[in-house]
Amino acid sequence: MKKTTAKAVISTFIIGFIFWILITGQAVSILNGKASAEILAAGALVCLAAACFSARFFIHERAFHLFDPRRLGAFLVYCLIIFPVELIRANVDMAFRALSPKLRIDPGIVKIPVGLSSEYGQAMLADSITLTPGTITMDVAEDTEDDNKTYFYIHWIDASAEDPQAAGEAIKGGMEKYIRRIWE
Amino acid sequence: MIFEEFLFFAVCFVALAVILLSRLIAGPTIADRALSADCIEILCDMALILFSLYSGRSIFLDIALITAIMGFIGTTLIGRYLGGEL
Amino acid sequence: MRIVIDALIVISLFFAFAGTVGMLRMPDFFCRMQSSTNIATLGIVGVIIAGIIYSIVYIGDTSMAVKLCVIGLFYILANPVASHALAKGAYKHAGKSVENLKVDQYGEDMVQEDE
Repeated sequence: MKKTTAKAVISTFIIGFIFWILITGQAVSILNGKASAEILAAGALVCLAAACFSARFFIHERAFHLFDPRRLGAFLVYCLIIFPVELIRANVDMAFRALSPKLRIDPGIVKIPVGLSSEYGQAMLADSITLTPGTITMDVAEDTEDDNKTYFYIHWIDASAEDPQAAGEAIKGGMEKYIRRIWE
Repeated sequence: MIFEEFLFFAVCFVALAVILLSRLIAGPTIADRALSADCIEILCDMALILFSLYSGRSIFLDIALITAIMGFIGTTLIGRYLGGEL
Repeated sequence: MRIVIDALIVISLFFAFAGTVGMLRMPDFFCRMQSSTNIATLGIVGVIIAGIIYSIVYIGDTSMAVKLCVIGLFYILANPVASHALAKGAYKHAGKSVENLKVDQYGEDMVQEDE
């Protein structure tokens, strides 16, 4: 269990407060200049309490990493352009696979190497792989004895390659390069 | 201006959810049942969103958000329990 | 504008239909899970984008659009976590009786750890 640091609490507090403003519908009132002070104060209290308890689960290293504008720009480009293209392509492929009269499936669990060292980057890559239909991340093997690389075990509905390198190229595509630009 | 076709689409989503009930009843393992329950929840959520747009009342969106949170917690809990990590 | 909204909802209805058919036809649990991801990604995102356009253009209520954004964001963030937990739990629960896999490097490595 990691220890709670002040930086982690502040960073979690900011993200939680943004979500509070969005959920309570205050975002528009702030722009109009008539936000309700009671709701904002209550939100600040709740977010501070929640951040004190949960910061050590969320933030382990480099708390203000994503607030750098260049990284935020790369993050937005990834979320708005790179990832949706992959998502739509995989979705169409999976839909026609399910609707075709002969089920063209060939499932298998493969092991692919991951070249990211940051925890956030690994989590983001695993989430992206799971959100793409046709691939599900099942487990992470960290720092195996033979080499200090991280591996993902992935259930793949069309296991056309069993070799870890080739399977990794086919599954990750261009996503890993952009995630490395964001988090490294 | 009211879009009447929203109701039609909502009924279509609910019909898909009813079809999925067969998987909930027949599914050979526990994990199958949990997965189909999760999918039924998502489809009902879509119908709720469409009905909220049709009627113009945002209270149904709050209900949809709560349903989504409940479905996430339930599915994660069942998964952790099956894996023996709880 | 009305055509765009209807087209988005029809697209998401198509993907939800494909996911449902996949759920009923696929032979084992993990393939069903792949199909269900279809419903949870493009199915819900299509409805939410249509709802955002409709609530801004026709209702004129921006807080509704923000709420829809929060629901979409929550689904995108939470669905992979639930899928991963369920897949791992189902694999461990099934033990060694997971069938019709072409390769299973996960099971091989688990056996090696046990020895």
